[in-house]
Amino acid sequence: MDRRRVNGPPGGTAPPVYLPPGRTAAAPGRTRGPNEIRKIFLKTGLTPSAAGSAYLELETPSINHSNSLLDRTPALKLTCTVHGPRPLPRSSPFSPRLLLSTRVKFAPFAARQRRGYIPDSGERDLAAHLETALRGILIGGRWPKSGVDVIVTVLEGEEDCPRDALATGNQNGRTGGWGMMSILSGCITVASAALTDAGIDCVDIVTGGIAAIVRQPAAPAQLVLDPCPPDHEEIIAACVIGYLQSRDEVTETWAKGNITALSDGKGTTKMGFDTLIDHAVEAAMAARRVLVEALKEGTEAKIQNSQAKPPGRAMGT
Amino acid sequence: MAIKPTPPQSSTSPHPLTFPAHTFAKLAPKTYLNTHLNSAHGPVRPSGRSPTQTRTPTCHTGSLTHAHGSAVVRCGDTAVVCGVRGEILGAEDVPDYKAKTAEEIEEDDEHEMKYADTWERKLRKQKESSEEMARLGLLVPNLELATGCSPTHLPGGPPSTLAQTLSQRILTLLHTSNLLDMKDLRIWSRWPRSGSSSGSHVEEISQQDEPAQDSVKAFWVLYIDILFISLDGNPFDAAWLAVLDALKNTRLPSAWWDRDREMVLCSDVPREAQQLTVYGMPVPLSFGVFESDEEARGKRWVLADMDGFEEGLCRETVTVVVGEGEKVVRIEKEGGVGVGGKDVRGLVELAGQRRTEWLEVSGKEAS
Repeated sequence: MDRRRVNGPPGGTAPPVYLPPGRTAAAPGRTRGPNEIRKIFLKTGLTPSAAGSAYLELETPSINHSNSLLDRTPALKLTCTVHGPRPLPRSSPFSPRLLLSTRVKFAPFAARQRRGYIPDSGERDLAAHLETALRGILIGGRWPKSGVDVIVTVLEGEEDCPRDALATGNQNGRTGGWGMMSILSGCITVASAALTDAGIDCVDIVTGGIAAIVRQPAAPAQLVLDPCPPDHEEIIAACVIGYLQSRDEVTETWAKGNITALSDGKGTTKMGFDTLIDHAVEAAMAARRVLVEALKEGTEAKIQNSQAKPPGRAMGT
Repeated sequence: MAIKPTPPQSSTSPHPLTFPAHTFAKLAPKTYLNTHLNSAHGPVRPSGRSPTQTRTPTCHTGSLTHAHGSAVVRCGDTAVVCGVRGEILGAEDVPDYKAKTAEEIEEDDEHEMKYADTWERKLRKQKESSEEMARLGLLVPNLELATGCSPTHLPGGPPSTLAQTLSQRILTLLHTSNLLDMKDLRIWSRWPRSGSSSGSHVEEISQQDEPAQDSVKAFWVLYIDILFISLDGNPFDAAWLAVLDALKNTRLPSAWWDRDREMVLCSDVPREAQQLTVYGMPVPLSFGVFESDEEARGKRWVLADMDGFEEGLCRETVTVVVGEGEKVVRIEKEGGVGVGGKDVRGLVELAGQRRTEWLEVSGKEAS
């Protein structure tokens, strides 16, 4: 028990159980084309007290106005703040490069089940993946003896299971963490935006992209960009990458699932690992266009602000 | 920090060293604020506000999918997200809980009728409500600053002292302001009255033989989680406004006790969900007292709704919470003796104006 927080009743509480299960409408599935990613809303400079910050939100599906409380699909919402570069504490050993530390934290209301405040393994895992994605792009030699903190807060996450499984509570063993992969892809993009907003020198902007091999019942497997896990009956494999477009480099890869020997029904092409990566790169390139626009807008707003507000009158001492 | 003196503007007189304003603010914050407040055009704060001027809040509700109620409130550069989520506490999990039947509660109501004054009766009722909520621990507010909202609050490690204090202050205010009604949080053994005519599954339940006695089987526990997105002074006011708006936005699904399954079930029909009753809409306004050292006479300014820079310079703070009809719900004051009884009167008035302003903002959002 954590005495430094307000705890619930000592008897413990249970999340509400809904009746009747299975009454929800059939999942509409994916309405986008296989090569289409969800619309991304990205904005920098939301936390003026931090050196750099950004907010990312994915398009909300229209199903939210349905007639069941259970049918509501979340839209990924992430905020990211960057603090630094700043001097390392005296006690830490000498470092010739900028030290990067990343943290990912889910808000208690980010998922269907309430999450606690103590960091869990999933959050640490995401933070480690994010660190690998970002470490390679920083020009760390310019800030010896300094550190930078990248903190991502997940206000609303993505779900792991198909919609009808969520309603019945029967997850069919599908706890694969596919939602976590979409979240990582968002984290990479939003962190890149915040790092640029903080004015930290990078070799290029990195964006996250995700592609997956999915299969609907009685249909051949299909390759899609930016899968929304509740839309798909079965996800066979998925891959997230962090991609630098201008250098054509990949800083992070995370693939999961059974990728070997799948055909798309026509029996001609095999959907192997390479194809999956190529599609993830495509998704990352699409996200990059949004990122570049957001950074342009953010910079323009900064310039306008500094022109509208001259930095006060100078005062002599 | 590189300090570059700006070139002197006039070449005629030997100009002293000058700095741009933001450098000056960092080097000598106290003098900087003092000079602003003593300016020839009347006291003005570095942000351009007058001492009693507050930052206009904005709010947005219902943007979180998984919460039963949510709000985002922004006051200047301070931004807060609050999510309210209901979970169920079974009456059998409450130690020493004596279940009251519906008759007993009605009896209580009749007893209440003896009080002639209706206002007093209402107050008594609300107070009992809050006492029961506090005893059962049905309201669980937690405030999180470690979201990178400011460089001084970085994640890792336990919640800071400030976060703990703020959580406790919010908990206390939730209980002492009699904000919510216990009747919204009780779950009965019968099907809720309001939803008795909708849905096919309802008939199925009403066909069962009537339960012998109607009793409270469970309670809703409200987990109120407050996350700071950005912090630039006055965290308490922003957090409370977010809590208030999120509670107003909260719709708990209608719930009943299922005798066969021996558990509480909820209806997933959105229009059966019940809105929480929020009483009084108490609104806080925090002030800081700035004292300049230079004048021995002890000149002081009371600054309303401080930003982060001012907060670092004011030791004494006052928070006034004003409810319906400009009634003072709570006054908190600490750190000095600068504000006396007479001054508090003025502060209460300002808090009243703040409340009017907030009701307008939040009403606009709700409509």
